[in-house]
Amino acid sequence: MITLKNVSFSYEGEERKSLNNINLSIKKGEFIVLCGKSGCGKTSITRLLNGLIPHYYDGKLEGETLLDNNSISQLPLYDIAREVGSVFQNPKSQFFNQDVFSELAFICENLGMTKREIHQRVTKSISSFSISHLLERDVSQLSGGEKQRIACASVSAPNPNIYLFDEPSSNLDVQGIALLRNTMANLKKQGKTIVVAEHRLHYLMDLADKIILMVDGKIEKSYTREDFLNLPPITRNSMGLRCARLQELLPYKSEEKPVFQKHIAFKGFCYMHKSAKKHSLHMNPFYIPKGSVTAIIGENGAGKSTFAKCLCGIYKKCGLMEIEGKDENWKARRSTCYMVMQDVNHQLFTESVLDEVLLSMDQEEEVLAKKVLKSLDLEHLSHRHPISLSGGQKQRAAIATAVVSNREVIIFDEPTSGLDFTHMKEVSKQLRELSKTGKTIMVITHDPELILDCCNYIIKIGGGGVKESYPLHQNREKLLHYFIEGGVSVE
Amino acid sequence: METDKTPFYIIDPRTKLLILALNSVFVFGGAGGADTTMEILRHVITFIPLGLLFFGGKRKPVLLAAIFYVAFHVLQVTLFEHTKGVLNYILLFSIGVFVRILPNIMSGYYFISTTRVSELVGAMEKMHLTDKLIIPIAVMMRFFPVAMEEAGAVHDAMGMRGIRFGGRHPSKILEYRLIPMITCSVKTGEELSASALARGLGSPIKRTNICSIGFRALDYAFWILGVFTVFVFITTLL
Repeated sequence: MITLKNVSFSYEGEERKSLNNINLSIKKGEFIVLCGKSGCGKTSITRLLNGLIPHYYDGKLEGETLLDNNSISQLPLYDIAREVGSVFQNPKSQFFNQDVFSELAFICENLGMTKREIHQRVTKSISSFSISHLLERDVSQLSGGEKQRIACASVSAPNPNIYLFDEPSSNLDVQGIALLRNTMANLKKQGKTIVVAEHRLHYLMDLADKIILMVDGKIEKSYTREDFLNLPPITRNSMGLRCARLQELLPYKSEEKPVFQKHIAFKGFCYMHKSAKKHSLHMNPFYIPKGSVTAIIGENGAGKSTFAKCLCGIYKKCGLMEIEGKDENWKARRSTCYMVMQDVNHQLFTESVLDEVLLSMDQEEEVLAKKVLKSLDLEHLSHRHPISLSGGQKQRAAIATAVVSNREVIIFDEPTSGLDFTHMKEVSKQLRELSKTGKTIMVITHDPELILDCCNYIIKIGGGGVKESYPLHQNREKLLHYFIEGGVSVE
Repeated sequence: METDKTPFYIIDPRTKLLILALNSVFVFGGAGGADTTMEILRHVITFIPLGLLFFGGKRKPVLLAAIFYVAFHVLQVTLFEHTKGVLNYILLFSIGVFVRILPNIMSGYYFISTTRVSELVGAMEKMHLTDKLIIPIAVMMRFFPVAMEEAGAVHDAMGMRGIRFGGRHPSKILEYRLIPMITCSVKTGEELSASALARGLGSPIKRTNICSIGFRALDYAFWILGVFTVFVFITTLL
């Protein structure tokens, strides 16, 4: 069905070959998972298959990609769109219409089908993906999992035989992943060919026929599901891969019970969004240990981000934080709390990393700024423009600004979404080191690997309130249970 | 033939554009001067988008806008002539804002908030515009809310960092706001284009549009009003 023969590709302006002599053939009805570290070329392969390479991304392409014996580089994109459906990582930027129905019809409209035919096809996708309850909604109001389901339904309307997924779970919570898994299983049952490029592997393990490991633009090895699962977890980790089964995470290392002397209390955190009828945040008083790394878990829409925004004083006049015996209101918290946003680009403003740090200081002291940069391994980058940094470096630059402005509490919004094992480990190390310097860290996350690696306290938020809070020590099973069972109710 | 279930206050995007244009030329631009008929027409043109928005469910902003419009219009015809000096300037300025600019903003808001991208595309196709114009406009409409969202996030981040007017680098405040917005928008824009192309946008085949747009009674009424307004305008020139 799909054949790649000696394919190499380098993006315009790059010396490095993103794909290096790839040979691959995919049979009809196969479920292929492409995995490997960030930048290994797995996304580039999906782009080859949907024709975005070479039609949208310019660069030097060698070799041949055949789709049913036709060369993809000769086919125009709209012809490929009939045969190959693509679902992308970011739900925010893959939709073209505000309402669900128009989105479902979008591809068929572009292909110039008759209105009658479009209605038939859309009706069919609605029933096969069971999404009739979402039709009246705006795309922007849907949860991440629902959005990815709509994306699948919309690319399925012209009835393609191949489905591509490029890191589809990056922005999803436990339930969203379950919904996505369920959608993929449905496609597999219909006999569709499916190619998924992904970091999170655990939800794909019951579906995958073949797992292809990529390293530096080359196919390193192709595993059957059984062979892959039989690898010891540590071998997979050394390849930069995330866990294949969540259960693997349980027997980590024996750790000492952390001792915390003091607490930070949160009192009266309530918030109501403008046009909303109900409080989106209504929290009873709760506390977390001072100096801990606290994970904040819970479904999308549970109120985690709202809490983070209240905490940092972005949403005004909400709640008191008691720290060292002092009550701090939202205004005071603007100089004691800091959030590292999911898209760090939003919070880097200046022309160099050093300027960025200086901007956050009360008195611009270059010596101190450089010391902080050194401690975060950014010294050699201090004159680079923040935009030119990698994702992890940007994150560290944002942390540097928080450290120099003496923030006591630093809250991270999903710092590891879409990261491979190696980069996740780096973030985890960063969080632990920060907490060693006495800072209190809070992490909003859906990533059990990160939590089990660096957190020591858990707050579970649901329906705008705190549902549970417990130290992680000796509660690893309980936490994993949430991530394993959390999505089951959806399926 | 299916029965038309569309609520009466939903009008064709082309008519919405007409209302926006009438508003811009005659209310905001003040074409037609102090002609009595024109004065009355201005009130009508102002209240059309307000009324349509009101039925569309946007009660609060509509009522506020209407109250301000009426109040300042009353001030304009009663109190304004009798004031002098600073008060006169203040009144002149605020009458300008609430009687001329506000209706225009409301009709722009009406257009943006009630028109779906696919409807606009359908309308532009019916006007026989070329794809070279339609696709960029559609992308722009789609991109607008994204840019707003990015701007909001940047605003939040600035508050958290304590960057504001009266801070240390007041001259750079605009730069600080724009740079992250541009970075993020470029990335989103690129992803959006990639996704749209992979979904077959831009094919030379004639695009179908499933939106049912078309003129109904209210549309014809507004177009007649439009023609009448232009007619009155021409008579004022003679």
